[in-house]
Parts: sequence; structure tokens; C-alpha cells
Amino acid sequence: MESFFTRYRNLVVLLVLLMAQLVGLAVQVRRTSSGTSTLDSADPSGVRLIRLWASAVISPPERLIHASKMGMNFTWSNYVDLVHVRQQNEDLKKTVDRMRLEEAALLEDAREGQRLQAMLGFQQKYIYSTVAAQVYGSSGSDRSHDFYIDKGWRDGLKPDMAVITAEGIVGKVRDVFPHTAQVLAVNDTTSGAGVILESTRIRGILRGDASGRLEIVGILSDQRIQPGEHVQTAGGDMIFPRGLPVGVVEKVVRDPERDAFIDIILKPAAPLDRLDEVLVITSTEPRFPPQDQQDLAASKAEEGAVPAAIKDQVKASEIMAEKLPGLIDPNLPPDKQPLNDNSNPNLAPHPPLPLHPDEFSPSTNDDSGATPATDSTPKATPQTTPRRDP
Amino acid sequence: MSLLGAGTRRDMEIRRYPVLVYALVPLGALVLQAWLPRVVGRYAWFDLPLVITVYFALGRRNPLQGTLMGAVMGLFEDALSSHPIGINGIAKTTVGFLAGSVGVRIDVDNHTIRVLLNFALSLVSSAIYIFVTRFLLGLAVDWNGLTELLRATGNAVIALVLFPLLDRLQVRD
Repeated sequence: MESFFTRYRNLVVLLVLLMAQLVGLAVQVRRTSSGTSTLDSADPSGVRLIRLWASAVISPPERLIHASKMGMNFTWSNYVDLVHVRQQNEDLKKTVDRMRLEEAALLEDAREGQRLQAMLGFQQKYIYSTVAAQVYGSSGSDRSHDFYIDKGWRDGLKPDMAVITAEGIVGKVRDVFPHTAQVLAVNDTTSGAGVILESTRIRGILRGDASGRLEIVGILSDQRIQPGEHVQTAGGDMIFPRGLPVGVVEKVVRDPERDAFIDIILKPAAPLDRLDEVLVITSTEPRFPPQDQQDLAASKAEEGAVPAAIKDQVKASEIMAEKLPGLIDPNLPPDKQPLNDNSNPNLAPHPPLPLHPDEFSPSTNDDSGATPATDSTPKATPQTTPRRDP
Repeated sequence: MSLLGAGTRRDMEIRRYPVLVYALVPLGALVLQAWLPRVVGRYAWFDLPLVITVYFALGRRNPLQGTLMGAVMGLFEDALSSHPIGINGIAKTTVGFLAGSVGVRIDVDNHTIRVLLNFALSLVSSAIYIFVTRFLLGLAVDWNGLTELLRATGNAVIALVLFPLLDRLQVRD
């Protein structure tokens, strides 16, 4: 027996290692009632421990490399590459001023929406607080679409928190370690999010396909869905707040497994393959965050400046009016205005009444109230037209 | 490919490295594998842990050490991803064993042979990965023959450059 193990030692070690890993895989993957295999959303404790060890070993040197790269980039972009920065700054200031005004209007609409939703008993969740994080590493495989960020549970992160950028959604927090966290990108096959098409209001489930493309699955064939339509989060998955940009419809293809269904391929709004900084949504509330409220106040102040300027212009026109003669006196009541004064000697005289009425003369039915020509007698009114005798 | 007999094999030199090299080179490969895809994006057609596994398994000419190194590298790769732990582990354990087994029969000082072996073992690793994922676990996996060929070519090119550099680190009597 001893000689058997000595002779086949290499093969025995290989088989033991393979069997151990196969058993480990069997623990992690389970069969669903529909017969398909799936992964549990939460790892078993042993698996989680291995991931923690791997992260603890790989993350420090990886973050060091990333920090060196960022340092070089920072030095270059902040001390060397500063061409046109002043002009850009001016342009951005103008853009901020303009957007503040727009924001004030939009926030008013949102507030109205909040009031209506409160009346309907439905509460919309708003992004209340976020944590900014830097992406420093990936899984290292093109078959697994996830990445690592430099914030962990010490920064308030928890599993299943939404990760976004200014452009759109990115993914959700999967594993959280003390100083780092693993984020599952939305284009991974194990990912999922509820989405809605912006104009057609069709809802579906977003996930990644095996090649890392974003797709919406489980939608009945619909001719209205066209490339170019924008897609947003639907807000029903308890991870992503409603209304965040997801992407744009790139093409619509037939579901290979179900005839009546289609798959919608999306172009992601956020650059999923070159992320540098992301925001982790740490809490959502049915009210605006303090920063938004401050912005609203600033926007209101700025918005108030515009009518004030208009008021100043009105005052200037009033000053001009005072200096010029006119028919309206602001110091007099309306019935005493010069416009209504009939004693004005410069009023134009009424036309003289005709001596011989004809078909063109005003009749008694005339609304003007003039005296009928037949009843009229010549009066000592000045005649403007000389009478000619036959 | 020059095949050697068992007698000649005993006479061949088994490469030895400082202990730090055994620790730092695999660690460096894992760190760069996790970091470089962020830089090169979708063109990350390489698998540095596999290249390092093949290098040490061939150089040590020991299937046992190749198996263990492959298992550790594969498990670390799996642990960094969100996928089940063990898929890459099985693939690289097998590759390490094969490389160590082949190393005792061929002249591993020949660069061409090592590069070709790297290319072939990369394809073997991909095949095992796909087999385990799709047929043993029943999970979806997208594979493209061209991508696998490109990955194998990338590994071969890296081996062509990296192996001579790593050879300089070995302890010579």
C-alpha cells in the first residue's frame, strides 16, 4: 500500500485536489426548480473567507500600483497639462449658472411630484447620501465582470448597495471587506436590475450576457421598441432608485429560447470597461438631500435675480413715462384720467348730418344712436360740403 | 521536440530559485492580472498566473509542485472574481500537473519548446474551464474560438519575453 502511494504520489495529489475543488463547486452552485443552475447571492462562510484572504493578499500591492498611477496622472494633469484650463473654467461657471436655473425649475416639478405621490400613498426614494470610491482593480478575467473599489464596511458600505456614475448605473456591491469592496457590474451574467424603457414604458429585467453585453430579457415582441430609445431603472428591485440612466437600445433580437419574446441589446450609459471613480448609494430617503436643498436655495436666489432685473427695467420705463407727456396720469383715479376727459378741445368733430338721407345714411336701427336723417332738420351746423342748386 | 530518456533526465539540472522568487513572482502575476485589464480593457488576452504556473512546473520538472502551484494560482483567481471558487483552480491544477509531467521528458532550456507548450497548455486550460462551467456546473459561458486562440497567443508572447528574464533569477551552482 505504501509503495502504491509512493509510486503514484503525483497522481493521487492531483486527484485529491481536483475532487476537493469539485466538492467545493457543488456546495456553491445549486439547481433551481426549473432545472437551471444558479449561484447563491451570498457565499457560504468558507468561500467568503477564501475571498477575504485573496483580497487581503492582492489588494495592498494592487492599490499601491493604482496609487502610483493616479499620482503620476495627478501630477501631469494638475501641473503640466493646463492648456485652455482658464477658458474651460469660465465656460463651466456659465454652465453651472445656467444649470442652477434649470435645476430650480426641475426641483419644483419634482416637489409637485412628491406632493402628488404623497396623496397617492406612494413614496419615491431619492438618493440621499453617497460615498465616492475609486476603482483600483478587476477580477482579472474577461469571463467575470466585477471590480474592486477602495472603500469598505468601515466607510459605511454594505452588500447590495447600488453603484453609479454621473452617466448611469454601474452595478451593486457584492462582497464588503474592511477597506475594500467587490462590485458586481450590471453586465455580469449573475447580475440583475429592473428597468423601464423611457418612451414606451415597457418594463424588463436587465442582465449581462456571457460576452459582457447588457441586455433586457423577458419582453414580449413589440414593434414600438426601436434603437435609440433610452432605458432607465424602474426602481422595483430595491437596489437602484427609480429614473437612473441605464443605456440606449442598440438593437432588438429574437429570444433564442422563446418564440414570442425578444431580447434588447443595450449600449450602457456608463463606461463599464473604463471606470475610474464611482458613487456608492449608501441611503435613499423620500426627501431631497441637504446638498440638493442648498442648491435649490441658491437657484431660487439666482432665479429671483431675474425678475428683480425685469422690475428694474419697468421702473426705468416709468421714469421715462413721467418725463414724457402722456394720456395716463399715475396720480389720478381711472375715471379722471386725461384719456377719458371729453372736454378736451382738440377732440375731432363729429361729421355733419346729411340734409337728404339716402341709403348710406344712418337709420333708426343704427346702433350708433344717431338721429335718423328723415327726422332731422337743418341746423346751424357748419357745412363742410357746399350745396349745389340744380 | 527533443524527447529524453529516464537516464538522461536524472542528469538534467533541476532549476532552483531563491525563496522570495517563489513568493513574489506568483504574487506579482496575480496582482498584474487583476490590475492590467483595467488598463488594456477588452484586449486583455493573457493569463499571467497560467504563464507563471507553466514556467515553474517546467523549470522544477516536478508534477507535484506544478499541481500545487496551479491549484493556488487558480483558486486565487477564482477568489478575486464573483464566480464559483474552483473553476480556474481545476483548470490550472491540471495544467500544472501536465506541465510538470512534460518537463521531466523534454529539454526545457529550449525557448521554442517552452513557448509552444505555453500555447498548447493555454488552450487546454480554456477547454477545461469551459467544460467545468458548462457541463459540470450547467452555468452559461460564452466562448469564442478566436478569443481563446488570441489568449493562447498572448500567453505565448509573454512567455517568450518573460521566461528568459525569470531564468536570470535562478540559483546557479
